[in-house]
Amino acid sequence: MTRLSLEGVSVAYGRHRVIHDVTIPTVEDGQLLGLLGPNASGKSTLLRALSREHPATGRITVDGRAIQDYGHADWYRAVAAMPQAPPSLSALRPVELVWSTARTLDLGLSDRALGARIDGLFASLGLEALAMAPLATLSGGKRQLVGFALAMVRDPDVLLLDEPTSALDLYWRLSLMDIVRDRLATRGGVGVVAVHDLDIAARYCDRLALIHRGRLVAAGTAGEVLTRENLAAVYSVDSEITTDAAGRPDVRVLRVAHPPE
Amino acid sequence: MASTLDAYAGLTRRRYIALALLSAGLLVSLLLDLSAGPAGLGIADILGGLVDPESLDIRHRVILWQVRLPDALIAVVVGAALGLAGVETQTILDNPLASPFTLGVSSAAVLGASVAIVLSPAMPLIPQTATLPALALVFALGAGAVILAVVRFGGAARETVVLFGIALVFLCNALTSALHYVADADALQQIVFWTIGNLTRAGWWEVAIVTACLLVIAPFSLRHVWWMTMLRGGEAYARSAGLDVARLRVRVVLRTSVLAAFAVCFVGSIGFVGLVGPHIARLLLGEDHRALVPGAAICGALMLSAASFLSKSVLPGAIVPVGILTAVIGVPVFLTLLAVQGRMR
Repeated sequence: MTRLSLEGVSVAYGRHRVIHDVTIPTVEDGQLLGLLGPNASGKSTLLRALSREHPATGRITVDGRAIQDYGHADWYRAVAAMPQAPPSLSALRPVELVWSTARTLDLGLSDRALGARIDGLFASLGLEALAMAPLATLSGGKRQLVGFALAMVRDPDVLLLDEPTSALDLYWRLSLMDIVRDRLATRGGVGVVAVHDLDIAARYCDRLALIHRGRLVAAGTAGEVLTRENLAAVYSVDSEITTDAAGRPDVRVLRVAHPPE
Repeated sequence: MASTLDAYAGLTRRRYIALALLSAGLLVSLLLDLSAGPAGLGIADILGGLVDPESLDIRHRVILWQVRLPDALIAVVVGAALGLAGVETQTILDNPLASPFTLGVSSAAVLGASVAIVLSPAMPLIPQTATLPALALVFALGAGAVILAVVRFGGAARETVVLFGIALVFLCNALTSALHYVADADALQQIVFWTIGNLTRAGWWEVAIVTACLLVIAPFSLRHVWWMTMLRGGEAYARSAGLDVARLRVRVVLRTSVLAAFAVCFVGSIGFVGLVGPHIARLLLGEDHRALVPGAAICGALMLSAASFLSKSVLPGAIVPVGILTAVIGVPVFLTLLAVQGRMR
């Protein structure tokens, strides 16, 4: 059972503070937390703090234990962060990148077991035929799927995804999120995903946190966070919110009220 | 359909076979290099003389063991050192143009050599005959230290490090030109000769020093092959897997600078090997550093060894400076590989 909590988290780049005292209710095992907010609101920075890539003040815990208290190897085996940009355009092949990452992390898998895991991952992501193709020959979307496979290969307890669907078409956008949801439901663990797409957020996330200028504006269920007032305050849009058959909010943007400040 | 593991294992196997073929090519090149020259020593004599030196008469034994073997071996170890330093520099700075040459190490060695030739300074504990390589080494290590300081304390981006290296090249070249300006004709000729690159000055001591340096540093490079392979997917992904990229960059720049400094201080500026050797290896062996790191060292060694052989063979009775031939051989090979790979895509 994995739980993730953030209390009074602040992050600064030098003297410039970009995340201010953010507290988010505990993300329970099997849950997916969505981070919403405009560009440069601090979503990626918060994810970097959660992944220990950037230091933060306040208290971030996994299973009640402060993230700084985890050993280096244990942490990176248990927590997988997927960066925003797809893997580089190089002559390296997807299988080589995933394999070298798995070997660097020393996952304790035999070649056969690791091969089977990679096969399964690539099959679920439609990458079987591209496993041996140089990354430089793949589209941005396919490389983003390789980036997702890099996070998933370690079978982590905590999955941190920074705009994982930004380069994907509609099919793979939904498929990737389905994979995340299925995995959390069957294996457990927690996930945090930064997204721009409000529909994806409402459809797949158990909890949402809306961030603006490094401050938490609202946190809770999609119905609690995706309100007309919140969207106007954060995105400067007039919107109409209805509820779909599954009881999820359905956002329809009517017009841009004024340019975001 | 074959599993990914089978396909990957097959690819890895083919790469190790290519590595073995390159090694065999290096051995052939080494034998050819040993047999080149006017003394009338054939391949059979060379092999016999290597296994049992007493099988050769004293004149041929001296030629083989005191003249040709050190020259041929220095080509191999210097080429290997430059190839290894080049591939690691290119990966850690994510820049195909990066090499010890473009980071200023070779230019600094030339400056050091020029200082030794023009100013002939006395160095404590260093005999006069060793002043030139000693100063070349000190200057090359100094350039490496400056680059290292930029990487370590400047918080420099990769592009900044490369730009700083190129600026260092220009600075060293300007100072070398200033020395050219005040040098007499004899000194000027010596500088030009050194700058082109020459393997014939090396003896067993030089071979032993560069070999020792290679043997000390190569295990660190081999230890980091998974990290370096992972880095080719991008720094952000390497960091997300727990790799301290900044720390690795300091370590790699340190070891490649030392390696390149020791490699060039005895033979002159043969920077081209460190730039193109790794690219030839990459075209043949791909980006998996388990094969690429030894492959770049072997390609560097093969390039310089072949250049050494040709330097003794193209003009009967004369030795063409090897630095001229490394580019003459390397560029066509490199362009051919690029063309072949382009057609295969």
